[in-house]
Amino acid sequence: MNNQNVWSTIFSAGTFAQMLRSATPVALAALGGLMTEHAGIMNIGMDGMILMGAFVAAVASYFLASAALGVLAAVAFGVLIGLFFALFTVKLRSDEFIIGCALNTFALGVTAFLSREIFGLSGTSGYAVPSLPKVTIPLIDRIPFVGEVLSGHSVFVYVTWLLVIVMWLFVYRTPVGFWIRASGESPETLRTAGKNPERMKWIASILCGVFCGLAGAHLSLGYLNGSFVEGMSASRGYIAFACVIFAAANPAKAYLAALMFGFFDALGLRLQDYISSDLTGTIPYIITIIMMVYVVVSGQKRRERLAKQQLKKLE
Amino acid sequence: MTDEIRFEHISMEFPGVLANDDISLSIRNGEVFALVGENGAGKSTLMNILYGINTPTAGELYVRGEKVTNFSPKAAIDRGIGMVHQHFMLVPSFTVAQNIVLGREPKNAGVLFDNRKAEKLTRELVEEYGLEVDPSAEVRDISVGLQQRVEILKTLYRGADILILDEPTAVLTPQETDELFEVIRRIVREKQMTVIIITHKLYEVMAISDRVGVMRQGRLIGVENTCDVDERKLASMMVGRPVLFDHLEKTGTPGEVAIKVDDLYVADNRGLPAVRGVSLEVRRGEVLGIAAIEGNGQSELLEAITGLRKINRGKVSVCGKDAANKTPGEIRALGLSHVPEDRLSTGVDKAASVADNLLIGRQKEKRFNLFGFHQRRSTVERYASELYQKFDIRGAGIRTEVGSMSGGNMQKVVVAREFTFDTPVLVISQPTRGVDIGAMEFFHTRIIEKRNEGAAILLSSADLDEVFRLSDRIITLYEGKITGEFRADEITKEEIGLYMTGTGEGAKA
Amino acid sequence: MKKRINVGYLVALLISLSVALLIGAAILAISGHNPLVAYRALLGGAFSNARHIGDMLEYAMVLCLCGLACDIGSRVGIFNVGGEGQLLLGAIIAAQIGVWLSGTSAWIAIPLAALGAMAVGGFYAWIPGVLKVKLKVNEVITTIMLNTVAAFLCQFLAKGPWKNANKNIVAGTGNLPGEFWLSKLVPGSNLSTAILVSAVLTFLVWYILQKTTKGYEMRLVGDNPRFARFAGLKTDRIVIITMVISGMMCGLVGMFRVYGAEHIYKSTVSNEYYFEGLMVAMIAQYQPLPTVIISLIFAILKIGAMGMETAAGVPKQLYLIIQTVVIFCMAAETGIRAAIGKAQEKRRAALDVKARREGGAAHE
Repeated sequence: MNNQNVWSTIFSAGTFAQMLRSATPVALAALGGLMTEHAGIMNIGMDGMILMGAFVAAVASYFLASAALGVLAAVAFGVLIGLFFALFTVKLRSDEFIIGCALNTFALGVTAFLSREIFGLSGTSGYAVPSLPKVTIPLIDRIPFVGEVLSGHSVFVYVTWLLVIVMWLFVYRTPVGFWIRASGESPETLRTAGKNPERMKWIASILCGVFCGLAGAHLSLGYLNGSFVEGMSASRGYIAFACVIFAAANPAKAYLAALMFGFFDALGLRLQDYISSDLTGTIPYIITIIMMVYVVVSGQKRRERLAKQQLKKLE
Repeated sequence: MTDEIRFEHISMEFPGVLANDDISLSIRNGEVFALVGENGAGKSTLMNILYGINTPTAGELYVRGEKVTNFSPKAAIDRGIGMVHQHFMLVPSFTVAQNIVLGREPKNAGVLFDNRKAEKLTRELVEEYGLEVDPSAEVRDISVGLQQRVEILKTLYRGADILILDEPTAVLTPQETDELFEVIRRIVREKQMTVIIITHKLYEVMAISDRVGVMRQGRLIGVENTCDVDERKLASMMVGRPVLFDHLEKTGTPGEVAIKVDDLYVADNRGLPAVRGVSLEVRRGEVLGIAAIEGNGQSELLEAITGLRKINRGKVSVCGKDAANKTPGEIRALGLSHVPEDRLSTGVDKAASVADNLLIGRQKEKRFNLFGFHQRRSTVERYASELYQKFDIRGAGIRTEVGSMSGGNMQKVVVAREFTFDTPVLVISQPTRGVDIGAMEFFHTRIIEKRNEGAAILLSSADLDEVFRLSDRIITLYEGKITGEFRADEITKEEIGLYMTGTGEGAKA
Repeated sequence: MKKRINVGYLVALLISLSVALLIGAAILAISGHNPLVAYRALLGGAFSNARHIGDMLEYAMVLCLCGLACDIGSRVGIFNVGGEGQLLLGAIIAAQIGVWLSGTSAWIAIPLAALGAMAVGGFYAWIPGVLKVKLKVNEVITTIMLNTVAAFLCQFLAKGPWKNANKNIVAGTGNLPGEFWLSKLVPGSNLSTAILVSAVLTFLVWYILQKTTKGYEMRLVGDNPRFARFAGLKTDRIVIITMVISGMMCGLVGMFRVYGAEHIYKSTVSNEYYFEGLMVAMIAQYQPLPTVIISLIFAILKIGAMGMETAAGVPKQLYLIIQTVVIFCMAAETGIRAAIGKAQEKRRAALDVKARREGGAAHE
């Protein structure tokens, strides 16, 4: 094998285009996950939310013959699942991990059961499900490399960019964003400020459901030309969760984390001829663990530095 | 003056605890009202009712003549009530300005949070009330004293004209306390605000209040004009009888040094230096008491000696052997037992039974083990029952969960366990916090018994009377440094008070 | 979710199971099946013949060991979500050891395979254990990540270096020599002598957790680590060792799957079996005895569901739905009871105060 060839494959436009594609569903779910994270809820159940969102989107799109209505249905379903999640974690104060775990398994079971009942096989692959359009950006698509990377993706790739900005503004620049953050960091403070922290957790949970629904809709209607496959969330909910942790629940940083995941995913696909994709597949997960260790260690270092500075001020 | 607030027959019961028992009290417009009482007397509970955090179990509350039916902080804020809690209600990662406007944010074009306006509003408040603080600093980066200012500014921003301060000086330096009192006087004088201050420090009552209410065990014992009473009178009202305990017989002479601390430096949870160059010695057969206002390094000092906290610099030895930066288990093996400051988080396993809590530390002893691994439950329970009786623990028996017991009985479990180790060194922190007077006497007797038997005891307590009663020698700590060392019978409480606040002889010179 | 196992718990469990079965019936009815027929087929699938019962017991064994692995972790306050990865790695290493040692005596190969599987599983649990104890890195997330890494790794080995010589097997290790197979207790089923070892293990776990000084120490560490450290226990060590043992158990389950049932490593060795074991443990409130019972119930549901699929044409995934509905019901029950308890307390307090006041008035 040729070294130069490997490098040119790694840094080809195709790799980066694939990176964007892979990052998008993860980033969408992460935008939801960071809401619950800010509200102080450990949300392990995103994977199930995505899976059910994907299923609902596919089914609605198939029966209503419209991908847009499919997306709408996924959003509506996201609201419901968010309400369900909040009912347990906020209202009934159940263990967040148990509920998240159960939600994932439930999603696996219910989507498989229903898809077999409705389509008679494990998924919708045999049926034509209306999918979301691909978008060609005029002018940019003419630029070599850049055009290849940025243009021609499913519409959600671009919607996600917009949503990252909107969510960043929402979290850090609106009163409700402040309240949601306060509800996780210091709920009693929010309560004494006359706002109900539980209500904020409900809102966060619903938003999380909606974003996971969108991520699911993208998976079934935008990512793979319109089809539902059993277990198609493929641990993306967990990766999204890792992105949220890594990004300290900051939407922009979470998107970057998702891009990093996407890059290694793309690398695995592109380098299949040189190295087993099973091995490259492990990289994003290992990196996530290293990220987590790094975040902890650097946090300790920062606190130590801060303490030293304050010590100097005192002396 | 008119009645601003009226409590009528207010009662508040928590599971198993009657925190407020039939309280009727009026507070007048434009006065500084002090509410005093020991820990657990029900002061905070009463004020939490006023602020809408607690809904009273029975009774009525009137604010400016209007009966309160809707108990919630929001409704209280709307009624013009502001409260500065003992544990500050601040979001650490938000800036000062963001904390102040939380819940009533200024907005840009009706949607976005207007940070600039929030900081401008904060600056205006700062100037109006003379409470200097940087609006754009993050709250987690500023000192406790400044955080308290943010709390006060927050209530002012919300338009409060009734201000409740829950033990505001517990965490303040004397200078900060003086400044706080200056602020209180100013807002009462210039803005006609009503201020209620919860405290258990009597000199503060005398310094700042117009009237004072005394609470004891959930009841309101009396209300007086401050100018008509003195500290002695208030103290006897607080404890229900003249503060006079039986004399404790101290015998024997101090033996060899059992705890030796040399030039110790320890950091607090935030990494800031809490103990700064402390050296001390405790001999067998004596009690060394530490007198300090909360947050001056005494907790960190004891945690460092007992292995619960990392030592940055300096030496510690227990019974002549190096004990610095060892694990609690290793230090115990050197001959030390420890009654910790916070029994709930450190002293017991709330979910475990009394027997399990009494056993720990001895679980490997031969008599409790068959073949070295099988736990002999019957022997464990027999042992636990013995201690249960010997230490007069009162509850539903050795199989009850410790978490369901009262503070005093829980502390008896801790003391029973630790004192039975019969180690030459005892480190005791806050032995009677939240414990009723009867049990207090019990603990004091036990501690002096240990002393007379020849234990070296290092004692820390927020209760100055307790420190005086039990100690042979007293050291004062201020901002992590020793400011004085005295024989307990050669100094008065008033003098100690000066050293505790860093204004003693040494500091003045 | 720590609470005593008592009558209230059993009642809640029964109610939750009934509700779940009712919801399952409703789903069946809506999707055009006769619930009675389907449930009869489900019971038949689990009990109709010895082979089914054998398969059911084998699956119960897997669930039970996985659940117990989770129980012991939770006893010291660490949550081993990584059992799936530990199981897979244990399975593949055990399978490969069998391939390597073909020709030697089963008395050498089987113990070595078991040791190898436990070593690998234990090591794979040690990583998140150390990260949790030393650096406070959330073990739930690291173990989830490590699960995926292990799955990829096994896939790589089974397709690459350790691939079966048979071209038709895309991803699988070499076949286990017949003399290494654990003897079947029920011919034709998956049930092998492994279940006897599992029974001993189960008893040991129960005994250690409930009856020994070590179990007592573990409980204190899990309840309040700060207190345990204060009282002189080496909490870090206890947590890490427990985590490693939990991983070893999962590795051993992998070995059992290969030597007792599959006789080869391929992806059917485990289909997220550990997660089902985890849910068993959750419902059992992390107590050993209920873990055994609920493992049996879930195994009946699952093996029965397979029979139901063939006999009544109902997709077997129905059992996942029933299973999770049980969990949701249990969680809801806990929450609702807590809320009711709180309300009762308030009412009682009000009555108390009233009674006291009236009593006081009578005195005056």
